[in-house]
Amino acid sequence: MSEVDMAVIKPEMMKSYIWLQTADGSIQQVEQEVAMFCPMICHEIMQKGLGSSKNYAISLPQRVSPAMLSLILDYCRFHQVPGRSNKERKCFDEKFIRMDTKRLCELTSAADSLQLKPLVDLTSRALARIIEGKTPEEIREIFHLPDDLTEEEKLEPLKNTTDDPRIRLLNRLYAKKRKELKERQKKKSVEVEDGCVDERSVDDLLSFINGENADSKGVRTSKNKKKNRRRRDPQKRTSIDQVAESHKKDSNGLGCLGHTTGGDNESHSTLSETSKLQDIEDDIFDHKVELDDVDIDDEIDPALKEEIDREVEDFARRLNSDWPERMQELLSLGQDRSPVHFSSNGNGSLRKNRRDLMVEK
Amino acid sequence: MTTPVDGGARDIISCLPAECLAQIISLTSPADTCRSAAVSHSFQSIADSDDVWKSFLPSDHEDILSGTTSWPELSALSKKELYLRLCDNPAIIKSNQNMSFALERQSGKKCYMVGARGLAIVWGDTPTYWTWTNLPESRFREVAELRYVWWFDIKGRIGTRMLSPATNYAAYMVFKFARNRKGFSHKAMDLRVHLEDSIAGQGRKLVILDPADGLPKPYQERGDGWLEIEIGEFFNDTGDDGTLLCSLMETDGRFSKVGLIVEGIEFRPKNNI
Repeated sequence: MSEVDMAVIKPEMMKSYIWLQTADGSIQQVEQEVAMFCPMICHEIMQKGLGSSKNYAISLPQRVSPAMLSLILDYCRFHQVPGRSNKERKCFDEKFIRMDTKRLCELTSAADSLQLKPLVDLTSRALARIIEGKTPEEIREIFHLPDDLTEEEKLEPLKNTTDDPRIRLLNRLYAKKRKELKERQKKKSVEVEDGCVDERSVDDLLSFINGENADSKGVRTSKNKKKNRRRRDPQKRTSIDQVAESHKKDSNGLGCLGHTTGGDNESHSTLSETSKLQDIEDDIFDHKVELDDVDIDDEIDPALKEEIDREVEDFARRLNSDWPERMQELLSLGQDRSPVHFSSNGNGSLRKNRRDLMVEK
Repeated sequence: MTTPVDGGARDIISCLPAECLAQIISLTSPADTCRSAAVSHSFQSIADSDDVWKSFLPSDHEDILSGTTSWPELSALSKKELYLRLCDNPAIIKSNQNMSFALERQSGKKCYMVGARGLAIVWGDTPTYWTWTNLPESRFREVAELRYVWWFDIKGRIGTRMLSPATNYAAYMVFKFARNRKGFSHKAMDLRVHLEDSIAGQGRKLVILDPADGLPKPYQERGDGWLEIEIGEFFNDTGDDGTLLCSLMETDGRFSKVGLIVEGIEFRPKNNI
C-alpha cells in the first residue's frame, strides 16, 4: 500500500489515479484510494501492476456498466474515508440504496463481481426487504419473472408454510379420525377372521359385482389408478379394500360405486382435484400416512367425506389466495395460540367442530 | 402469465449470480423462502437449496441432531426437509431419552422439552403419590400421573447455553387433567422462572390452574392433545448465564392436589408483539 501512503504523506504531490475500463470500451480515471476500496481492483493493481496508465487500464468485469461503476465509486469514495462514525455510514447507506429494484439488482451484480462485500450485503438486504411478505405473484411482477411453474410445482412449496393453529388442529382431527378408522378396520377384520356372516357376503358381493356389473371392475381400476398417483403403499391398500368391501352389504355401497362409474369424466376430474388438494393437506400432515382417506371415506361415510373435501379445498384456496393477510396474521400471531375448545368423541362432535372452524374465519 | 414482450419486460434478476440470489433469499424468512419457491423455476431451485436452508437452521444443528434417536433418518434429508420436519416432529435426545429437540417454525430457533422423568418432582418416586405411565400421545416413554399430593412441587432446568442466543424464551408446563381432579381450582399455584445461581431474571406469578367455569383459563390447547400453561419468560442473551430454573409449587398442606398428568416442561421462543 506504499503508493497510497505516499499520496497521504506528500499532499503536494499529485493524487495518484488509476485507469479503469468498462466492458463498453470507455476508460476513466479514478482516484487510487477510492478504486483500491474494491478488492478486485486492488488485486489487479498489486498482483498484475495494471491501471497506472491509459494503455494498461484495468478491465472491469462485464457486469460493471459505466452507470454502476459510477455508483460504486460514490460508495467507495464515502466509505474509504477512515474518520467517519458508524452513524454517518449508516445514514449514507440508507440514502444510497434508495433506487429502483432494477438498479439494485444490477448494483448487486456489479459489486459482487468487484468482490465489494459490504456493498453486496447492503443491496442484498434491501432486496430481501423487498421480497419479504410478498406473494409469489407480486414477486413475479416486481422482478418481471415468467410464470413458468406447473400448478403442481407451485402447490408443492405451500406445504408446511403455515403456522396456523387451525390447520394444525385440522391435522390433529384428521390424525384422530384416521386412528379411529384404523381401529374400526381392525375390529372389522377381527370379525371377518372369526368366520362370521361378513365373509360369506364378501364372496357374494364379489361374484355379484364380477358377474353382473362389468363396469364396476373398470371403476375399481380407475380408483386404483388414482391411488397409484397418490403413491400409497399397495399392500395396505388391498387389505383396506378387502375390509371395506366387507362393509358393502347394502345397495347403498354399491350405489356409490355405480355412481362413480356413471359420472366418470366429471367425478374423475373432481376426484383428481380433490386428491391434489388433499395432497397438499396430506403433506402438511405427519409423513406416516397409511390410509387412503378418500377411498375409505367413500365406503364408510360419503357425507362426511364431502364435508372434509369441501373444507380441505377451502383451506387450500385460502392458503393460495390471501398471503398478505395471512402474513400479517402470522406476524401478529407469532407464538400465541388462541384457546380452541374442541373434543373429538366420534364423528358427531367432529363434524360440529369443523363447522365451528369454518365459521371462525 | 407474463411473457417477455420487449427488452423492458425481461426479468431483472437474472443478472444476479446464483450465490447472490441465495444470499438475498436467506436474508428473508423461512416462510418467505417457501413462498419464493412458488415464483418461478429460477427462484425455486435457489429457494429449495441447502445453502439457503442451512442459514435458517441453528449453526450447531448437526451436532445436536447426531445425538438424537432419529439421526440416521434425518441425516439423509435435504436442509429444507430437515427444517420443516423438525418444526413438527421433535427429535428425542439419545443420551437420556428425557429431552426432545425441535425448531420454532417462524425463526428456526431451538425448542426443547424436558420430559417428566427429567424434571424434579417432589414425591415423584413414591407410587402412592405419583405414578408413571406410558401414553401413546406423549413423545416420551413415560408421563407422570398425580394420584394425590399435598406438597405439589415440580422443577425443571435447562442450560442457557442450549438455547438460541438473543432470543426471548418462555417455559410452559405441558400437561393434562385426569378425569377427576381436585385442589387446583381455589388455590393459586406459584410459578417462577429464574436463573439458578442468581435472582436475576426472576419472573414470578400466582395462577389458579383450574378456575371455575366461566372464568378465563390460564392454559391453552397445544393441538397435540395436551394443554400448556406458561410458567414465565426469560431473555437468553449469549447463553452464558448458567442454568435456567422453572418451578411450579402449591404446598399448602391443608389441600390435597389430585389428578394431573404431566408430560414435561417446554422451552420455546416467544415473540412479544
